[in-house]
Amino acid sequence: MAAPVEDRRRLTLRLSVLQYMITVLFSVLALSFWVLQVVQHAKFEEMAENNHQRTLALRAPRGLVLDRNEKILVENRHAYSISIDRERTKDLNRTVRVVAAVLGLDEKGLRTIVDRHRREPTYRPIVVVQDATLAQVSAVKARKLELPDVLVEEMPTRRYPETMGAHLFGYVGEVSDSQVSEANGLKSGDIVGQSGIEKIYNAMLMGEDGAKRVVVNSVGREIRTLEEEEPTEGHRLQLTVDYDVQRAIEEGFDQLGFNGAAVVLDPSNGDVLGFTSRPAYDPNAFAGGIDRETWATLTSDEDLPLNDRAIQGRYSPGSTFKMAVATAALQEGVITPDFKVHCTGSANFYGRPFKCWKKGGHGTVDLRHAIEQSCNVYFYTIGNMTGIDNIHKWATLLGLGEKSGIDLPNELVGIVPSPEWKQARFKEKWYAGETVSVSIGQGSVSVTPVSMAVYAATLANGGTRVTPHLLKAVDDGSGWKPVPPPPPRSKAPLDPDKLQAIRDGLFLVVNGAGTGHNAILKGYDISGKTGTAQVISNQGKERAGKTEKDLRDNGWFVFFAPRDKPEIAGVVLLEHGVHGSNAALVAHHVLDTFFAKKEGRPLPPKPEFKANLVP
Amino acid sequence: MFERRLYHHIDWALLIAVLALCALSVATIYAATFDPTHGGSRRWVIQMYAIGIGLIAMLVTVTADYRTFTDKSHFIYIAILGLLLYVLLFGHESKGARRWIPLGAFNLQPSEFAKICVALVLAKFFGENRGAPTWGDLAVGGILTGIPLALIGKEPDLGTAMTLVPILLAVAYLAGMRMRILGIMLVAGLLAAPIAWKFVLKDYQKSRISTFIDPSQDAKGAGYQQIQARITVGSGGLTGKGFKQGTQGQLRFLPEVDNDFVFSVLAEEQGFAGVLVALGLYLFVILRALEAARLAKDRLGAYLVLGVLASFTFQVVYNITMSAGLAPVKGLTLPLMSYGGSSMIATLASFGLVLNVRMRRFTN
Repeated sequence: MAAPVEDRRRLTLRLSVLQYMITVLFSVLALSFWVLQVVQHAKFEEMAENNHQRTLALRAPRGLVLDRNEKILVENRHAYSISIDRERTKDLNRTVRVVAAVLGLDEKGLRTIVDRHRREPTYRPIVVVQDATLAQVSAVKARKLELPDVLVEEMPTRRYPETMGAHLFGYVGEVSDSQVSEANGLKSGDIVGQSGIEKIYNAMLMGEDGAKRVVVNSVGREIRTLEEEEPTEGHRLQLTVDYDVQRAIEEGFDQLGFNGAAVVLDPSNGDVLGFTSRPAYDPNAFAGGIDRETWATLTSDEDLPLNDRAIQGRYSPGSTFKMAVATAALQEGVITPDFKVHCTGSANFYGRPFKCWKKGGHGTVDLRHAIEQSCNVYFYTIGNMTGIDNIHKWATLLGLGEKSGIDLPNELVGIVPSPEWKQARFKEKWYAGETVSVSIGQGSVSVTPVSMAVYAATLANGGTRVTPHLLKAVDDGSGWKPVPPPPPRSKAPLDPDKLQAIRDGLFLVVNGAGTGHNAILKGYDISGKTGTAQVISNQGKERAGKTEKDLRDNGWFVFFAPRDKPEIAGVVLLEHGVHGSNAALVAHHVLDTFFAKKEGRPLPPKPEFKANLVP
Repeated sequence: MFERRLYHHIDWALLIAVLALCALSVATIYAATFDPTHGGSRRWVIQMYAIGIGLIAMLVTVTADYRTFTDKSHFIYIAILGLLLYVLLFGHESKGARRWIPLGAFNLQPSEFAKICVALVLAKFFGENRGAPTWGDLAVGGILTGIPLALIGKEPDLGTAMTLVPILLAVAYLAGMRMRILGIMLVAGLLAAPIAWKFVLKDYQKSRISTFIDPSQDAKGAGYQQIQARITVGSGGLTGKGFKQGTQGQLRFLPEVDNDFVFSVLAEEQGFAGVLVALGLYLFVILRALEAARLAKDRLGAYLVLGVLASFTFQVVYNITMSAGLAPVKGLTLPLMSYGGSSMIATLASFGLVLNVRMRRFTN
């Protein structure tokens, strides 16, 4: 009987050991839960929230852009973007593969996009398609379970309803890496203006993105919305541009088919009424992320469609420069308006013959008629008398060879030469013979179309070099606030009587026996001047012989109207337009439209004129 | 067979604690599987049926003298081995494992009943041997445990197979196994670990262990469940997010919310307070059962109680540790809580045996 008792005691002892062990074990468990649930609660609560709450950016629509009569020029449409949320991705390679297959995209291209954003924080989704087609959207949505990490988001996208003013409006695109580091307000993935007013007024147009906090389940499906912060739309901008004037310019270019540029201003304050550069591109192609192919086509095109010729193109002004020479000669007292020159079709200066465009010559002409007839010999003579320094001084005062200061990015400056300029540029002396070439706007003179528009406006308004500008008013949500026009760049001290002589000549160009007859508009006293500028010298043309290159002359027309109290001034340039009179055709349609609109008459129909291609 | 006076010796406290855990189970499963978009799931109802059947099984295991069961344990053992073999050959396959015998309304999982069977057969074997078990006794016990273990492991269901080991250890320990032998086995186990790592464990098992040590190394794969389990439990806080209000469980960031991770859901929705209640109930049940072993009329009864209690306790502790993300994720359910008919029925039946032993402490 001893053994069982002994046995029993050991059994009890061992059970007690188990009892204690279990109690300790459970205490440790309770302690662990206390640590997790009480001590570290805040940390895990935050992690749980990050798990099931997701903040979605609500893209702010960019501000609308309206014309001076509040007609919408640039608006927004709804588009869908597709992006990959790496926080939910288990295997990025697999996702990329599946997404490429589902969306019908090139896997390699998709991988490049993903790689470019790989170093960004993972909570920021990588946008792989900015403007998805409905088929792509539904393809992704149908595979929601298979692709919990692929998001479809609605985002407002820029829309340019009319094919006009591409360079004026510019285009938008994803912010580049360098832009992100520059400006603090911009984050990767933002859509910002990359040219035109989209760029220059980007800060106003952009608005503030909103956010939506939603509850999602483990496969990323949205269960409900917790809070929503509405995006703030960008400021609305009212431009000085007049839709109908702009339309008229585009129609004129469409009809003639030349490349070139046109700028139309209100000479009293510099309001830009119309502005174009041809060839143009479709800004809509950029709005949803431009595809590689379209981009390659745009950048490799020899006609440089992305170039804004109105502010970046530099051309010889040709005969349109003659008013600057006349102004210099008159203001410096070298001549009076009645000063006469006899033109025989050619004249010798410094041992070299300089031709007039008219073979038989113009006979004896005074300043008014020299401008009307565009007599080269007259201007050779007075230019030579006035000297390059005075020509440089007055041309500059009239706005040539200077930046206009227009509110568009990357304006280039033209050249109005001077001996100092030549010394600095070429380390060469100025030759007096060069002054003779410059007197008819050839040689080393080159101007941008926008500076020519300022030049026309300055002649029109009596010497005030207005600053062309596009912004008329801004609405930040609290109503329109007008933006005062920028101050004039300078004021040329022009003697009204002397200026009047030049303006008389300009009136005759259109309304007399001049070359600007195409622009005539009865009752509106259109004044203007054609210019036909060689792109290559006559000798060079002969040397070149037969060539693929377009060697036809550029055609200019600068204008303002009405003569005595100008309300509109501007310039039309046709690249290889053969003759300035062809540019006057476009100007005529613009002026006709402008005055018809002003007086409430029906606007002229789409023009049907043809360019005269005989040199 | 069932005498009226025995009725007065039923351990009502233990029974009530077990039923309280069952009630907690139904409530937690209801909350965890609640899906507002589909009008709720029926799983909690099925769990109630399982509890009902389990209580009938309990009635059976209480009514007959436990010695009747141990006397017949070799028949039961052979029957269970037959079922395990049948499962291996003809069982219902799901997720690459054959664990179930389809029985129309539900699937029978023989491995759950194998635990009771092993407890019965070991209790009988060690109960017949007076004195401390020798190496030979341990070897026989090892073989008796090893055969069903191998069959279950082959399904494969390594988790359930491993729950048989504590039965052998606990019964042998109580039978007076020398501590030295226990020590030797421990050392041998430690030595065998690297060999097992290299030659026995499959890659997925290795990755589970290595991700347990550092879950972040595979935060989207194997470590995902562990991290999510910790988040689930930790975000519950002191008082929990409220019934059906758990985001982790409700939004399915955690898998198997009614099964392996049912305790995580409880911890999330009822907080530390709910955890303490559940832990307290389990501790009470276990200590109360140990008490039954201590009071047992004979060693056979004590061994039997400890046998069924060993796999129960092992599973409870392991599962709760795992549901807090503090142990490698393994398909081990929480007895009396997790959704699963076979487990519930077998567990209630085994507590019937515990009640049985205590109840009959004065009978001859």
